[in-house]
Amino acid sequence: MVVNPTVEYEPEQVEAFDFRMAMEEASRCLLCEDAPCKYGCPSGTAPDQFIRSIRFKNVNGAAEIIRENNILGASCALICPHEKLCEAACSRCGIDSPIQIGKLQQFATEYERKMDKTYLSQTDTYSGKSVACIGAGPASLACAAELSKQGVDVTIFDEHSQPGGMLRYEIPPYRLPETVVDHDISQLEKLGVKFELNHKVTSEELEQMKEKYDGVFVGVGTWEAKTLNIPGSNLDGIFPAIDFLSKARENKESYSSLGNVVIIGGGDVAMDSAATCKLLGADSIYDVFVESLEHAPATQKEKMYDFQMGIPLISEFMPVAFIGDEKVERVRFEHVTNGSTMELEADTVILAVGQTTRDEAEAWKQAAGIFTGGDMVNGGDTVVQAVAEGKEAAAKMMNTFNE
Amino acid sequence: MKKDLSIDFLGVHCENPFFLSSSPVCNNAEQISKAFDAGWAGIFYKTVGIEGMNECSPRFDIISNEPSSWTGFKNMEQISELPLEKNVIEIKKLKESYPTKVIGVSIMGSNEEEWRTLAKAVTEAGADIIELNFSCPQMTSHDMGADVGQSPELVEKYTRAVVESTHLPVVAKMTPNITKMSVPAIAAAKGGAKSVSAINTIKSLTNLDLDNLTGKPVVNGKSSVSGYSGNAAKPIALRFITELAQCEELKDLELSGMGGIETWQDAIEFILLGCRNLQVTTSVMQYGYRIVDDLISGLSHYMDERGVDRLEELVGIAVDNIVPSEDLDRSFMIIPTVDMDKCLGCGRCYISCYDGSHQAIEWDSQNRKPIILEDKCVGCHLCLNVCPVSNCITPEKVVYKDGKDHTDKEVVQQLVYQ
Repeated sequence: MVVNPTVEYEPEQVEAFDFRMAMEEASRCLLCEDAPCKYGCPSGTAPDQFIRSIRFKNVNGAAEIIRENNILGASCALICPHEKLCEAACSRCGIDSPIQIGKLQQFATEYERKMDKTYLSQTDTYSGKSVACIGAGPASLACAAELSKQGVDVTIFDEHSQPGGMLRYEIPPYRLPETVVDHDISQLEKLGVKFELNHKVTSEELEQMKEKYDGVFVGVGTWEAKTLNIPGSNLDGIFPAIDFLSKARENKESYSSLGNVVIIGGGDVAMDSAATCKLLGADSIYDVFVESLEHAPATQKEKMYDFQMGIPLISEFMPVAFIGDEKVERVRFEHVTNGSTMELEADTVILAVGQTTRDEAEAWKQAAGIFTGGDMVNGGDTVVQAVAEGKEAAAKMMNTFNE
Repeated sequence: MKKDLSIDFLGVHCENPFFLSSSPVCNNAEQISKAFDAGWAGIFYKTVGIEGMNECSPRFDIISNEPSSWTGFKNMEQISELPLEKNVIEIKKLKESYPTKVIGVSIMGSNEEEWRTLAKAVTEAGADIIELNFSCPQMTSHDMGADVGQSPELVEKYTRAVVESTHLPVVAKMTPNITKMSVPAIAAAKGGAKSVSAINTIKSLTNLDLDNLTGKPVVNGKSSVSGYSGNAAKPIALRFITELAQCEELKDLELSGMGGIETWQDAIEFILLGCRNLQVTTSVMQYGYRIVDDLISGLSHYMDERGVDRLEELVGIAVDNIVPSEDLDRSFMIIPTVDMDKCLGCGRCYISCYDGSHQAIEWDSQNRKPIILEDKCVGCHLCLNVCPVSNCITPEKVVYKDGKDHTDKEVVQQLVYQ
C-alpha cells in the first residue's frame, strides 16, 4: 500500500480526483449485480450506486446518494477505514486492486462543496416534534440529520465551542481538514438543526430535557483519557493524547518545542499523535506499544503513514516507569515476553492508551427514556459506525412518535 | 432529485422520454416488466414479423478500449424470434399489467399484405404506437429491412398500407446506411407517418478473426456484414437527427432519437436537436435496465441547474446553432496556454502538434516542458485534446487573422473541458 504523507499539518484540502481521474476509476468498477461493497458499509451507504452514477457522468446524482445516506459523507470519504470495509468487499480484488471507493466518494462530495449544492430537504412528517441531541459528534449529528429531514425540530448541545466532536477535536486536520468538517456541518444547518455550544449538560438538566422534548439522544463519546498506573505517572510533561490532539490547532506554535517525544499506544490515536508531532516539528519521536506490529489496533494505512514519515514504531514493549524530577526525563520499558529493557529519553510523553466516557455520563448509558449511540456505547469505533448508530436511534425515536 | 420529466409523444403521454428501442432488450413481457419497474417510460417492442426468425450463433462482436467497457457493438440478430400470434399474447399481457406505460410495437413485413396484417394485429393487441422497421441491416430476406429503407417508393407504399390499417400513430424507423436520410423520411411522411425514428444500426464489419480469416463473430467459419451500434455510433446518429430536424418538409413530424445513448448528457443532446422521445438498447445490453436511474436523475439535475421546468422547453433549441461549414466565423484563432504547474512534462502535446499539426510547440528537453509558439499556432486545439491532465492546456486568447483588435466582438467559446 502506498500512502503519501502530507507535509502540512493544516492543508486546505486533501488531494482529490478531478473529473477525468474519477471517470477512469469509476470505469474500473465492475458494476456488480447486488454489489458486495454495499454490505461492507456499517451505515448502509451503497457505493455501487454512487459509483454507477459517476460512471454515467451523473456527479450530482452521486453526491446526492451519498448525502442522503450519510450526513457526514464528506468526512467519512476521508477517514473511513475503507480497506477494512467497502473496499475489502470489492469484487475487483479478485482481478487486481479494489476500486478506490473513498476517493470516488471524496470526488463527489468535493463537487457538492465546490458547487455549493443542497440535496437534502425537510418533509413535514414529524413537524411539531422536538428532540435534543447531547453531544455534537458523529452519532449525534447523524441522529439529528435523520430527524430533521422528517421535520423534527432538533437542538444539539455540546460543551465545545464548535460542533463536530472527534472530527474536529481529535482527528488531525492533515487527515480531515476543517473545511470538510464545516461542509458536513453546514448540511445540518441548512436543514435547520440548531446548535447550543459551550453548553455542558448535567444529569439534572438531562432530566429536565426529558420533560421538555419529545425525545432525547445522548452521544457524548469518550473524552476521558485512561491513564497508566505506574511509577512517575504524575510527573509534568505527560499528556493524554486526546488533550494533546484537541489543543494542537490552537497550540501548534508552542508544540514546536516538544523536544523528544515518546508516544505510548498502538491505535489510530497514537499514530495521529505521532504524525502530528512530526508535522509540528518535534526533535525525535518514538511510538511504543505492547502489541505486535500486525496486532496493533491502528489501521494499516495509519501505520504506513507514520512509517513513511520516518517515525519509529516499536512493538511489544510495555512501559513500566516514568523517570524524572518533577518533569519527566525518561521512560523505562520492558519487553512483553523476553525480559529485555529499554529506556528512552523524553521531554514529552503522550499517552494514547484508550479513552472512556466521563463519569457523570457513564450512568446515562443505562438511563431510561433516552436514546444513545456512538463511542460512549460501542466503546470507541469508527465514525461511520457512530453514524450508523445515530441513524438507528433516530429511526427508533420516530417509531415512538407513531405510538 | 426527480423532476417532472413527462412529455407527450405523438399525443401519447409519457412519464419520461426514455424508451427501450426495438431490440433484444424488449423481447417478451416478462423481460419488459423488469424494465418498466426500473423506470423506463415505454418501449418499442422487438420487431414483430409474420414468422419468428432463425438466428445464428454467436451473433455479437465488440469494439472496446477498456477491459470492462465497449464503445461499439455489432449484432447479427434479426427481428423477433417469436411468430406474430405469440407476440400478440405478450403485448396484451404487458398492456394489462402496465396500463400507464407506453407500448410501441415495431413491425416488419415483406409485402403490403403482411404490413397490413401486422398493423391490424398489434393494434388489436393494445399497442399505443406502431413503429415501422425499414432499417434492420441484417435481414436474411432482401424484401425486408434496410434494403427497403433505402427505397423511398417502398417506404411510402408500406407506410400507407399500415396507416390505412390502424388508427394508431405511426413512426417510421430510418436506416443510416444512406446518404440523405431526409429522402426516405419525406416518403414516410407522404405515406402518413407522424414521426420518424433514427438511427437504426450501421452496416459494419467490426473485426476480422485472424485465425479463421473471416469477420467476427465467427459463425461456423464465416461472418456477415451487420449492424453496428453503441456510444461510438452517437456522432453519426446526431448528424442524421440534425438533418431531419432541419428539413423543411419534415417540420410537422415528431422525432424519436437513438444511437449510442448511455448517459444523461447523451440523452440531452438528442433532445436539444429536436427529439421528443429517446430510445436505448446497446447500453442496456451492456449495463442493464438500471441505467435509467442516472438518465432520469442526471436529466433532472440538468433541468434544475438550467431553471427548466418542462422538458418540452429543451426540445430542438440547439437545432439552429448547427450551421453549414461555410457559415462559420473564420476570422479568428484561439491560442491555448499551458498551465506549467499542472504540466507533467509528458510531451504528448509536442508530439501531436509536430506530427499532426503545425509544429507550433517547442520542446524544452532540459526541463521537459512544452512552449507554445504563438506565431506558428493556428488554434486547432489538438494539444488540448491529447493532454492527459484536466485543464492543463486551456484556450487563452483570441487572435484575429486580420491582425486587428476587435474588442467590441465577443467570441462564444466552450466553457468546460474535461
